[in-house]
Amino acid sequence: MVKFTKSIATRLALGFAVLVAEAILVASGVFYFGTVGVMDRRIDGKIAAISNRLMESFRNRPIEELARQIERELHDGIDSDTEIFLVVSPAGQRVVGNLTAVPSATRPLGQVVTDEVVREGKRATGRLIVQQLPDGGYLYVGRDLSEQRSISDLVIKALLAGAGASLLVLAAGALLFRHQIEKRIGHIRRTAQRIEAGDLTQRIPVSSDDEFGRLSIDINRMLDRIGHLMDGVRHVSNAIAHDLRTPLGRIRSRLDEAVRREATVASLSEAAGAAIEGIDALILVFEKLLQIAEAESGVRARSFEAVDLNGIAKDMVELYDATAEQRQVSLKPAGGGAVLAQVDRNLVASAVASLIDNAIKYAGPGTTVEVGAYAQPQSVAIVVRDNGPGISAEERPRVTERFYRLDHSRNLPGNGLGLSIVSAIATLHGGALQLEDAAPGLLARIVLPSGRPAETVADRPAA
Amino acid sequence: MRCLVIEDDADTSRYICNGLNEVGYNVLACDNGLDGLHHATNESWDIVILDRLLPGQVDGLSIVGKLRDLGKNTPVLIVSALTSVDERVRGLRNGGDDYISKPFAFSEMLARVEALLRRARPVHQTTQLKVADLALDLRTFRVVRGTMPIALQPREFRLLEYLMRNEGQVVTRTMLLEAVWDCHFDPQTNVIDVQISRLRNKIDRDFSPPLIHTVRGAGYRFGPGG
Repeated sequence: MVKFTKSIATRLALGFAVLVAEAILVASGVFYFGTVGVMDRRIDGKIAAISNRLMESFRNRPIEELARQIERELHDGIDSDTEIFLVVSPAGQRVVGNLTAVPSATRPLGQVVTDEVVREGKRATGRLIVQQLPDGGYLYVGRDLSEQRSISDLVIKALLAGAGASLLVLAAGALLFRHQIEKRIGHIRRTAQRIEAGDLTQRIPVSSDDEFGRLSIDINRMLDRIGHLMDGVRHVSNAIAHDLRTPLGRIRSRLDEAVRREATVASLSEAAGAAIEGIDALILVFEKLLQIAEAESGVRARSFEAVDLNGIAKDMVELYDATAEQRQVSLKPAGGGAVLAQVDRNLVASAVASLIDNAIKYAGPGTTVEVGAYAQPQSVAIVVRDNGPGISAEERPRVTERFYRLDHSRNLPGNGLGLSIVSAIATLHGGALQLEDAAPGLLARIVLPSGRPAETVADRPAA
Repeated sequence: MRCLVIEDDADTSRYICNGLNEVGYNVLACDNGLDGLHHATNESWDIVILDRLLPGQVDGLSIVGKLRDLGKNTPVLIVSALTSVDERVRGLRNGGDDYISKPFAFSEMLARVEALLRRARPVHQTTQLKVADLALDLRTFRVVRGTMPIALQPREFRLLEYLMRNEGQVVTRTMLLEAVWDCHFDPQTNVIDVQISRLRNKIDRDFSPPLIHTVRGAGYRFGPGG
């Protein structure tokens, strides 16, 4: 359990509960004054009206007639258990009415007030209005409020019970709410803890398509990316251990040998020359690995600009035309008009150069290599296609792995990094390198998004 | 030629200074940014070679920036272990004239230094380049050796033009890639050698003396002399 104040779920649930409680309070108030309050005001109006009617009717008639009228009112069966009437003589004697005792205190005339009375021997609370009769006596008209009070008590009790029950439901709801949120976040936290402990294969279970579901999908995608990068690092470490140590060992043993033999200037300078050559080759590999790392980490996304891919294709064909001629390969541009994409020109050019270089090297004399760019419905592509022997379907997925070399190509110069770099460059641009059977030959296609890759990646909406 | 070298790594500094001394440059070496800034701004130099990363508060880029702020346009070659294109662009934006990444071959650096020194001299507008009996017309795109017209593809024409403009100087493969093919990456194959060899077949094979010379471990030199 999370500590009370440290749980946003609790705070949200509590805040929500307080809001709903306030709403219940307001609703109860409105209900109370709309029922009990209105009833009270009606009673006041009624007794004032009765009192005025009596005063008006019997102003110029003897008091005995008023007394008879009151007797009739008291026995007509309407409201007889709540109505209050009393006529008092100028001397203060009770003439007629159902009040046992004459109210003692003098009170303002013509106004409805609340008072304690004794009605037919029982004490009660009532609303009373007093008016002075022409002969100097007083007329009391009123209404016993006992029933009224018990109704109002009932309403208040019902309201309190309702509010209490609502608060209970609210508290339970808040707890449930908090439990739900904690459960959903708990999935994410537990996964994060397991990953922190070293198990990068963990993913957050995605059960629904709500905010948490979408957050989980985003986090999982991020984890996939991290996992991919980690694999890359692991692979590079293995590759470095294997493919860099070997040439280093060769250089070292060669220098060692040169120093131990009786050295002549000629033999030493030959050994030094060989060492420089070996080291240069290593620097090359090193730079290529850095290039892959740089492309994969995506740091160059900001140098993207609109570039004509067919322009790149043509430039690279013109760079390699002499090499192709020398190897008796027919190299030609195959693209049409301008095909624009948001790319880093140098990276894409180096990728195309690498594909052309491979095609010329592996397709062999007498073949044709065509290079061109074209627009697809959702993307653009640069294609390098040869009609040489191609790569078998089993080996095709493996050739983009770092340092992987086809068995029959080990005698050709190369370090097995070319296609890894092309693949990394395509990925950096939000695209991919596809290798297909050109029947015969190999078709290498760099697919790139036709939009603005840097922005679509960075500004992808959270949904 | 007076050359200021600002480089904190003693071995690299010695490598550069010895090399430049051998080819007749007058070299002063500084091993920190503060001294370097002082010498660069208070004396007059034909070229400044400086390391991008220097210990202390004054780094290579701020020295270039200070020089340019003072209105001095001494050519500056930046040497750096930071090899990414972004770093290169930053170096050039801050006023550097060229950028070379470590590790480098001395011949590559010398060729770039010489190219910068040539660029610092006033250029005269020409429409006709001529080396020995080879003539290249920049308006009509015609190339003639002796009396024989030679047909060149557009890119070969630009390659030959660049070589002729840098007559007698060593040009490296990287310089050719950048100047002729606008490639700011290293294709790391012998494409340039093959391009040169094809050009050689066209302008040198049936003529004498040969004009394109290979400089071992460095690049090429163009001119009638060996």
